Amino acid sequence: MERRELIQWLVAMAGLQALDTLDASDLLTLGRDIHRGGAARALAPHAKSNVSVAAERILPGAGAAGVTPFIDKMLADWYTPDERRRFLAGLPDLDVKARARAGVDFLACAEADQIVVLTALDDEVTALRTARGDAANQHWFAMLKYVTVYAWCTSEAGMRALGLFPLPGRYDGCAPV
Amino acid sequence: MKEVTDFDAIVVGSGMTGGWAAKELTELGLRTLMLEAGRAITPERDFVEHKPPWDMPFRGLGDRRAVAARQSRQRNSVSFDEWSHVFWTDDVDNPYTTPPDRPFYWFRARQVGGKSTIWSRQVYRWSDLDFEANVRDGIAIDWPIRYADIAPWYDHVERFIGVSGQAEGLAHLPDGQFLPPMALNCVEQHVKERMRAHFGRDRVLTIGRVANLTVPHLGRAPCHYCGPCHRGCITLSYFSSVNATLPAAQATGRFTLRPFSVVRSLIHDPQKNRVTGVRVIDAVTKTERVYTGRIVFLCASALESARILLNSGLANSSDQVGRNIMDHIKWGGASGEFDGWTNRRVIGERPNGIYVPRFRNVASRHPDFIRGYGFQGEAGRAGWGAALHAPGIGAALKARVTELGPWSMTFWGFGEVLPRRENRATLHPTLVDKWGIPTLHIECQWSDNDLAIHRDMNVTAAELLESAGAKHIEPSSSGPSTPGGTNHEMGSARMGRDPKTSVLNGWNQSWDVPNVFVTDGAAMTSSGCQNPSLTYMALTARACHYAVDQMKKGEI
Repeated sequence: MERRELIQWLVAMAGLQALDTLDASDLLTLGRDIHRGGAARALAPHAKSNVSVAAERILPGAGAAGVTPFIDKMLADWYTPDERRRFLAGLPDLDVKARARAGVDFLACAEADQIVVLTALDDEVTALRTARGDAANQHWFAMLKYVTVYAWCTSEAGMRALGLFPLPGRYDGCAPV
Repeated sequence: MKEVTDFDAIVVGSGMTGGWAAKELTELGLRTLMLEAGRAITPERDFVEHKPPWDMPFRGLGDRRAVAARQSRQRNSVSFDEWSHVFWTDDVDNPYTTPPDRPFYWFRARQVGGKSTIWSRQVYRWSDLDFEANVRDGIAIDWPIRYADIAPWYDHVERFIGVSGQAEGLAHLPDGQFLPPMALNCVEQHVKERMRAHFGRDRVLTIGRVANLTVPHLGRAPCHYCGPCHRGCITLSYFSSVNATLPAAQATGRFTLRPFSVVRSLIHDPQKNRVTGVRVIDAVTKTERVYTGRIVFLCASALESARILLNSGLANSSDQVGRNIMDHIKWGGASGEFDGWTNRRVIGERPNGIYVPRFRNVASRHPDFIRGYGFQGEAGRAGWGAALHAPGIGAALKARVTELGPWSMTFWGFGEVLPRRENRATLHPTLVDKWGIPTLHIECQWSDNDLAIHRDMNVTAAELLESAGAKHIEPSSSGPSTPGGTNHEMGSARMGRDPKTSVLNGWNQSWDVPNVFVTDGAAMTSSGCQNPSLTYMALTARACHYAVDQMKKGEI
């Protein structure tokens, strides 16, 4: 695929909002993803990497359970344009907070620093929830966390870990834990 | 080969009651045509109860945009989800109107099997507390039948469909032909015992009576507790027309099923005062066809059958077609938590809950309302769904997500709704559906009595939980459900004793046009508070035997 075609193709995809922010390496990565059939639709490569690492730190096992492509699909096909914009506008906060703490982007941080950044965001949501109840769900980090937990719990690995898969084929209403 | 267009009987609709009409009429020897507006269903292809969430595009959250665009009303059904949404109609193709301030949910299923694929399968008999209710209270009109008239037909239906349940010996909720009951879980058992100690026989908790098999039954396998029955059942373990009555009709060799056949109206011969056939729009080609038959059974669902009668201009000398729409009012109840049993959990998904039969206005008289309600409910431990917004990240969050929460129990009520003539569906003066057929304008709202029943549910559900020692008891914060929302709509072509005030006689037969029978929810004269499908099925079987008997006598 030529670069021009690639850009046209990207422009044609309703989910991808921030095309003009892509640099050459982003486009190269996207091109490779497209040829592998794994292109993200709402998340530019850097954002996708951030989501992927953040999801794994939020809920260990999320990466292996395929949470990142699901989050991308939700952003592309499920959330409203407003919700998607809010999420994509909030996501760079990971890097802002990481640079303030460690002087480098979120991805380049040590795991301990990443956890500090994510904990600060989680505390923000918790404070918001205390003050404004369910309105906290509108926070971009609350969205990320919700979809991460939901996606893991509905993945095969998650359902196995939760004891919900495979199906037991029987009912016991008073089974030992 | 030329298509056969003449039959002994025509059945409109392939759901709960259409399936019964087809089975009974074919087994009684009639060559029977079934007309279904929607597509055919092949269990191996269309039943998706075992498809895991990770194989669904939105993992169970549904295609939000498509649903908002095409099924904004249907999605309000409790069994509508990403898997089962294909079993509901498209709201754009199938419009209806209501006053802006009085919404009504008209949940509709157009495919072979109708709503019998997506129903909740709860089956309770009525008693004379219900059949005598209107005449006792001076409300609307009297039922033309009593429990003794329908009891043998309850037996007949239950023996075929398979009902698991526990006999309780209550006069106002008669026992039936039960397969072994499903089990209560630890907390439900505890609540049952505490309620018995506190309320005696006045408020009884029993396992739900449900049309799911607990043992092999007439060639169908017992339930394997996978959970989402409303997505179909490949092992045919719950009753639906696809799973049971349609195969039985097919086995007679006298059954013809025609999907994609939207019934526009009935064709009437004014000389003989008989319906001679049915005018059908082919759902795919939109061409019109006519099928003829000696009798017609309308089993298209309460409002659809009324719509067909209104579009035919028939059977309405009483002006009662479309009136007296009832549903069950719900969303009242309460939840409470229980300490203990932390080393116990539930394994498997029981497709059934508990039932507390009506206790208001049974032995005593309530000052605020007539009639009553039953509770359904269940106990369980909070799972991952309760952790979707939990604070924390990393290992702490994972522990929160994977650990089972405390046990809690919820009761939610289903309240009887009074028949009122102003709750009414009329033909819309201009709006038509995708096939050019005039659709309905529906005006329906709860009465003061209905709302008083709804309020009382919160009070007594909390009492039940309190008697059982629950903590943190929370009455429901929901207002009353939207009319139609329980999907128990009924009453729109009621039975009665007088042709001046009812559409059907005591055999579900049109007073005006004697070879027309209506045996779905339209026929109901009052609503009871029990889930109504069992009664619809029993009335259908009974009407079929009567109709064939009348044909043999040359009466119709």
